[in-house]
Amino acid sequence: MSVQKILLRHEPKPENLLSVLEAIQKENKNIGPEELKRVAKYFSLPPARIYGLASFFDETKTRKNGKRIIKICSGGPCLAEKSMELVRQVEMLLGVEVENDGHQKYKLEFMSCRGLCDRGPVMMIDKQVFEKVTPETVDDLILSYI
Amino acid sequence: MKLITKNWHKIDPLNISTYIRTGGYEALRKAIREMSPEQVIGEVKLSGLQGRGGGGFPTGEKWELSAKTVADEKYFICNLDESEPGVYKDRLLAENNPHQIIEGLVIGATTVGAKKAFIYMNGHYDKQEEILKVALEQAEAMGFAGRGIIGSALDVEVKIFRGAGAYVCGEETALISTIEGKRGEPRLKPPYPPVSGLFGKPTVINNAETLANLPYIIRHGGGKYNQIGCSVSPGTKLFVLEGAVRNRGIHEAPLGITIYELVFNSLYGGGLRDGKEVKFVQVGGASGRLVPQAKLDHALAYGAGEYPLGCGSILVVDKSKDMKDFLFAWADFFHRESCGQCVPCREGTFRLWEIAKRMRGHGLRERDKENVEEILWTLKNTSFCPLGSFAATAWSDAIKMFGKEIFK
Repeated sequence: MSVQKILLRHEPKPENLLSVLEAIQKENKNIGPEELKRVAKYFSLPPARIYGLASFFDETKTRKNGKRIIKICSGGPCLAEKSMELVRQVEMLLGVEVENDGHQKYKLEFMSCRGLCDRGPVMMIDKQVFEKVTPETVDDLILSYI
Repeated sequence: MKLITKNWHKIDPLNISTYIRTGGYEALRKAIREMSPEQVIGEVKLSGLQGRGGGGFPTGEKWELSAKTVADEKYFICNLDESEPGVYKDRLLAENNPHQIIEGLVIGATTVGAKKAFIYMNGHYDKQEEILKVALEQAEAMGFAGRGIIGSALDVEVKIFRGAGAYVCGEETALISTIEGKRGEPRLKPPYPPVSGLFGKPTVINNAETLANLPYIIRHGGGKYNQIGCSVSPGTKLFVLEGAVRNRGIHEAPLGITIYELVFNSLYGGGLRDGKEVKFVQVGGASGRLVPQAKLDHALAYGAGEYPLGCGSILVVDKSKDMKDFLFAWADFFHRESCGQCVPCREGTFRLWEIAKRMRGHGLRERDKENVEEILWTLKNTSFCPLGSFAATAWSDAIKMFGKEIFK
């Protein structure tokens, strides 16, 4: 679905702005300068405001990202279920450091709670969510999905 | 005592007739057919229901404020943007009984005179959004939402609005900014949203759990609801027990219950797993205070005592856990989720995060201890919205309780 089609499906009202951006993000994997301009024109708003909105949220990205992103939940309940051990193990396995953008291919991050605390620890590889990850299974998961 | 979760096992969330069979939408019928808006507000005020999102503001008063304000348009918003670490009560509510939320929402909207209602969903809750969408379609088809509710002249158009994953958007003014298509930054209060909120119109924002209590209050009367729980804050609450307890998960209990009972009673937590010992209990998610073992007899209620209840999550941490990991996790969370609007919060959370990183790497500097205290003071006293002081709460308690372990 092109950007034009997404725009035509929504009325140019401010409350639809975020859902338009999310739809473009889902389609394009990022919201580039071209898309920003078109959205701004459609909603009759300055492009800076659209950029401000798109860069504010976790889910919408304004730049392309070539790296594989591994995220591990750092919420209290996941932490109590040894999510820090998972972090250390992934650090060793891939040679990355958590919250450090230095590696060329991978990026290991903490993520905010997704409300899956009863099935923690929670790990994400790109958009895929894994629940009840243990130090025993994390290596296999990483190796088979990356 | 169960009010909200009582019928969950009988209900198929995708089938409205299972909800109607348990007496669902009776309260909406009663509120529209038999009661005037003033009577509904009177019942809610009598019940003493307080906001379940964490603030504990009396719901009846909020509604009255909005109902009294004269405006050509009003809005009603259900806050389902639950992103406090360790809380998932609203997710389970939407999963198990979405109609309870919709019924409460429509009762509220018709009472204050709002024609448009939003359900603000957390951006991560995909499955729950689908369930709510189906439930909403069914409710509209049966005439419980949309145009002409139950044959009356009242319209409430309910729309689901999806957030995009930002913790600060749970704050009501930030939530309003997001719906208006702006960055989710909190605004100065007053004016409070019930007077001037979404698009400058009166807006009531209630947590999903608060709304789920309403059908019971309208059906059985505010007086009966007021008898449940304790006198300062009546009713029941969904508590989320996490960590080292035996029965992890969601438990409904009357307010005024003590932490000790919640953790050790076999009805709820059932004690700690594998004979572990309590190091501390955190009440209210990452922004909550730490309760030491000696103070576990503290009662959990809104507006009472030194440990605020917040959104109702209870994290039990046993003695085998490293304090530094928790400090790092809190600092990391608030540093990531700070909206960056005000300097104390943006810089303070960042510096805390840096110090927490050094703590884990054993590279703690000489002045760090002093700096931490200064940063915590600044965060607590000078930040614009509650997020800044939340970031300092757990840290200050941790340093008070485990200072020697942290800075050794």
